[in-house]
Amino acid sequence: MDQLVQFLDKYFSGPVARLAEQRHLRAIRDGVISALPFIIVGSFFLIIAFPPVPAEWALAKWAKAHVADILIPYRLTMYIMSLYIAYGIGHNLAKSYNLDPLAGAQIAIVSYLLTILPKVVDDVGFVLPMTNLGGHGLFVAMLSSIFAVEVLRFCKRKKWTIKMPEQVPPSLMRSFEALIPVALVVVVMTLITVVLGIDVHSLIDKLVSPLVTAGDTLPGILIPVFLITFFWSFGIHGVSIVGTVARPLWEVYLAKNAEAVAAGQPIPHVAPETFYQWFIWIGGSGATLGLVICMLFFAKSQYTKTLGKTALAPGIFNINEPVIFGMPIVLNPTLIIPFVVTPLVTATLSYIATVLGFVNPTYIMVPWTLPAPIGAYLATGGDWRAIILVLINIAISFFIYFPFFKVHEQKMAEQEKAEGEVFLQ
Amino acid sequence: MNVLFVCSAGMSSAIVVNALKKEAEKHRIEMNVKAVSTEEFGEEVKNGWDVAMVAPQVRHRFDYLKKEADAARVPCDLIPPQAYTPLGGSTLLKKVRELAQR
Repeated sequence: MDQLVQFLDKYFSGPVARLAEQRHLRAIRDGVISALPFIIVGSFFLIIAFPPVPAEWALAKWAKAHVADILIPYRLTMYIMSLYIAYGIGHNLAKSYNLDPLAGAQIAIVSYLLTILPKVVDDVGFVLPMTNLGGHGLFVAMLSSIFAVEVLRFCKRKKWTIKMPEQVPPSLMRSFEALIPVALVVVVMTLITVVLGIDVHSLIDKLVSPLVTAGDTLPGILIPVFLITFFWSFGIHGVSIVGTVARPLWEVYLAKNAEAVAAGQPIPHVAPETFYQWFIWIGGSGATLGLVICMLFFAKSQYTKTLGKTALAPGIFNINEPVIFGMPIVLNPTLIIPFVVTPLVTATLSYIATVLGFVNPTYIMVPWTLPAPIGAYLATGGDWRAIILVLINIAISFFIYFPFFKVHEQKMAEQEKAEGEVFLQ
Repeated sequence: MNVLFVCSAGMSSAIVVNALKKEAEKHRIEMNVKAVSTEEFGEEVKNGWDVAMVAPQVRHRFDYLKKEADAARVPCDLIPPQAYTPLGGSTLLKKVRELAQR
């Protein structure tokens, strides 16, 4: 078993983890993450617009009468999240190449905006349709931003810049430096969108639609869940690896769910990141809150008792590195088994519960450090049944961890006896 | 001594920061410790830290974090997994002191 673990670490989890650190993937990851504050704040206006109270209450009536106005902050933040993400990707990719990050962000924006055709509306003038600036346009935002920054880099490397005399102030010089790459990006994107009349958005939509469908099925949920705990079993931050690839998809689901709620339609997707966060990763990756309960009440060794006490507070806020590295779960076959199995079980149950309509699908993003019952309640737009599902999942986690915990504790207690009490410094 | 910790979001290392501070107090060592996320690290590491410590769960990003630390001339190393717990203070302090000597 130990050999297998070492083999996997050396030839699989290690190399794949490094792959996730590839420059463009990293820029996309950091770009998406940079937009999260806007998504969190924007999604809160959805709660205000559709408050979780009985329809006859004054608050509900007020919200109903003013729904369009209440949603304006949402429309200009979360609803057009891809615009913010494009800026973030451009900034981060340029920074990784040691190019001017501001130039990178701006050139990414122009490249992305040029995939959308402005329309003329009577009385208003020119209008930019917002749909494709939202979750719909996320994959286009990724590609167009990367293209734009690569052009910027290419021009810099080939020294295709307009030379100015030395006396010219640096800020002015910089704006001239960006002239040729900006012109190139604008011309190419105009060619695609206007001259050739290609709708990049519907094209990419068609390409990614199998992926969008697949990621929202039970296997599409279980695969990332398994991979995340798999990486953590070797002590590598699973979500940061798997999320690099999967998070764009998760954000698309979240955006579409929020759009459906804002439009008064049924919620289409089960699996935004919020689903994983609130129903599966209770207490942190591996759903370790159940394990912390085992540690608190059933520990035999001094070490585990002490660790359990220090791990409880962080665990409630979904931080579980103390447990993962402290127990440890990392490279510990006994505890890796429930660590991998528990989330698969709770994920399956939560998926079924959501599909059958026992709980609302999630459509609101709240900070991941909230305690799970509160987070789940808010993420589902105020569905009290979500709290029950969370409590059931905590119980399941406890019962799956318990027998393995006993085996582990037996060993720990014997070890402590053999060594005296030297375990605690 | 000024010690900078980096982990994925700057959350979990905050817990370990406290363990290190307590241990340092025991040894009467003045210690200023801060935890940041991997995104913030590149900027923060320039601000006059004596030592930078990388959390084990982001070791796949160690190479480029190290580069950023090297550019700022700050000694930088991985935190051993066994030390990355609220109870790992003493191992951690030893490691920090070793690193600061370099």
